[in-house]
Amino acid sequence: MITEQAVKDFLRSAGYIADDAIATAVFLAIQMEKPILIEGPPGVGKTGLAKALSSSLDFPLVRLQCYEGIDEGKALYDWEYGKQLLYTQLLRTQLDSYLSVSTDLREAVERLASEESLFFSQNFLVQRPVLRSFMSDKRSLLLIDEIDRADDEFEALLLEALSEFQISIPELGVIAAKRKPLTILTSNGTRMISDALRRRCLYLYIGYPELEREVAIVRVKFPALCEELAHQMVTFLKKARELNLRKPPSVSETLDWAEVLSILKTKQLTSEVVANTVGTIAKHQTDLQKVTDLALQELG
Amino acid sequence: MERIITRFVSLLRENGIRVSPGESLDAVQALALAGMRGRKSTRQLLRLTLIKNINDVPLFDALFNRFFNRFKLDISDIDLAAQLDAAIVSMDGEFTYLNQNQGDDHDEQGPLIKIDSEINPEDLQELKSLTEIDPDDTDGTEIMVQMKGYRGKSKAPRPSRRFTQNPLTIELGKSNGSERNIAFTLEEQLAMQEVVSKMMLRLRKDMKRMHNNQNRGKLHVIKTIQKNYRNDMVPFLLALRRKRRDKPRLVVLCDVSFSVSHASRFMLLLLHTLHNQMLDVRSFIYNRDITEITEMLANMPVNDLVHTIDQGDIVDLDENSSFGQVFLKFKKNYLENLRGRPAFIILGDARNNYDEANDSVLEEIREKARYMLWLTPEDKDTWNRGDCLINLYGAYFNKVEVVKTVEDLSTVVEELLRDIYGDRAEPIDRKRLQEAKKEEEYDSKDYYRRGVGSGVEPTFDPSGRSGW
Repeated sequence: MITEQAVKDFLRSAGYIADDAIATAVFLAIQMEKPILIEGPPGVGKTGLAKALSSSLDFPLVRLQCYEGIDEGKALYDWEYGKQLLYTQLLRTQLDSYLSVSTDLREAVERLASEESLFFSQNFLVQRPVLRSFMSDKRSLLLIDEIDRADDEFEALLLEALSEFQISIPELGVIAAKRKPLTILTSNGTRMISDALRRRCLYLYIGYPELEREVAIVRVKFPALCEELAHQMVTFLKKARELNLRKPPSVSETLDWAEVLSILKTKQLTSEVVANTVGTIAKHQTDLQKVTDLALQELG
Repeated sequence: MERIITRFVSLLRENGIRVSPGESLDAVQALALAGMRGRKSTRQLLRLTLIKNINDVPLFDALFNRFFNRFKLDISDIDLAAQLDAAIVSMDGEFTYLNQNQGDDHDEQGPLIKIDSEINPEDLQELKSLTEIDPDDTDGTEIMVQMKGYRGKSKAPRPSRRFTQNPLTIELGKSNGSERNIAFTLEEQLAMQEVVSKMMLRLRKDMKRMHNNQNRGKLHVIKTIQKNYRNDMVPFLLALRRKRRDKPRLVVLCDVSFSVSHASRFMLLLLHTLHNQMLDVRSFIYNRDITEITEMLANMPVNDLVHTIDQGDIVDLDENSSFGQVFLKFKKNYLENLRGRPAFIILGDARNNYDEANDSVLEEIREKARYMLWLTPEDKDTWNRGDCLINLYGAYFNKVEVVKTVEDLSTVVEELLRDIYGDRAEPIDRKRLQEAKKEEEYDSKDYYRRGVGSGVEPTFDPSGRSGW
């Protein structure tokens, strides 16, 4: 029996600082065997959470990157046509002798039909991420990344897999998961996810972290950076996020910036430092100007 | 515990948050698994399991605070309600600690603190003293109303209620001249966004299907071979060449004169939301003069734009609207650079103030346009009264629609987009158009030809004027 504190601790050991909401969600997902749907702006650690969980719990990570036009052949399973063809080619002589026993065409077809299951067996099944995580002997972590990029037909396709942890393959029947994987879905909110999918998941929104947690994140990733500087840069970025930028800097930008500052061996944040490194935090031309202006105003 | 959760869920539903029975089961299961260790963690558990949309979170937090604070408030009151409450509390004793306010201040940052601090013990005390002085005060009734919901007497409404209460279903016609300068409320904008995003979702889905079905041309031999490499070149999967397809273009002329301002207001908002989503929209506003506002729509907050228009900074609003003048000016200034056969939409009541009709310009516009659509906020009963020229103008249009609500508006625009995308728009060839009109003569929906002769040549029926 694990507790939420334990979740926090083992995530910390993997370098991920979780707040209470995240820890509770992970704890419940493990206990209730339900998927978590994580939404939030890009770069706040949605995928990072899955990676940290996978490494700290020692669940092998099975990742399914969604994109427009993804279908069951790419996500669930596929038949290996090439192998099937190859086998029929190689087995031709055996097939001939096997079928030569029959006297007429009808009987030959029946004989062949009785062996059909040979060619639609697990042997010729290509496991795509979802099936692979279901068939894994060890409990795995299934990450369905950026589900909002996929079409809604694909969402519907996932419903059975996510609620029952099983996949229906017409030729083979229903395949249930050996061990129910810990499932994490992420979405950047570019499209509304359907209520049917939401209903099957726990819903977790990860926003920009509060000051202390972000400082802690920076400190964990870059222990060499002095605490005062970490505090300074996080405070500055928090102000920058309120500037109404086209692409507000998120946690991943904070970490990039922290890395740049530690490489440059910066001790103190000044407007000059910001001006020199602004490219790591602002990603649009109009944003660059706004951030440098803010630096002049705040840091002098 | 289950009972409390059920009541809480029904409170959520009453306030428009959709919670399925499965989700409330999840909540109970989660509480059983995690145990109850104080208010904050319980709130998180319930939020994780019951709320599936970030927009519902603030409402949830407010309701949570209201729901679980009420115990304390009511227990301290000595009346029937308190006694009832006490009975329930003792029944579900495990939950009473939720009323404790300790540690509430660190609950969450942001707006939640505000909600929490609004209902701190001092406030409650104040509230109580208020009710003692004047029991008929609104605070008192509020508590009573909450009590009602809490006892589970009022049934949870069906989820669909939320949509019938959508502020956008309010008739556009209800707003009158005196409300002219009212900016869009946040709810209106949100509701519009919802309407549009739903529309987009439907459209995009169908477009994709149509795209897949229709836009495919000949076999793409190389791609097919590449695709079937692993199948030993047996072409199981085909790759087809794509036909090129343009982004649909719209040209929208929107009347901002006094008589239709309530409708144009929503049209502007719709345009603003649609702009750049998937369409190439050029928007114009007119009264007697006509100006393009495409750039402004793209770059200005919609309320500022409405304000600027209302002040008459863009087109003079004190003039009488004149469609004839507008068409002439449109032809002079803009018609030449209309490209790509756009769909042409006019929003207006066609009340020309007895000016020159200049309907021949519409003929020229139609040669350039893929599809012509007239939207009017006026009922067709009054079309023939006064200075309304809709029968004359309407003859040049593929369709004349009455739009009274935003739902109407979005339906009409959606149909139009489907027509353009699906390539089902009627041909612009005039003869064929008139033949088609003849055939559809008995279609009651086709009201725009009322008063027009059997469709040989669109002529203005003076009966409209003489009836005045």
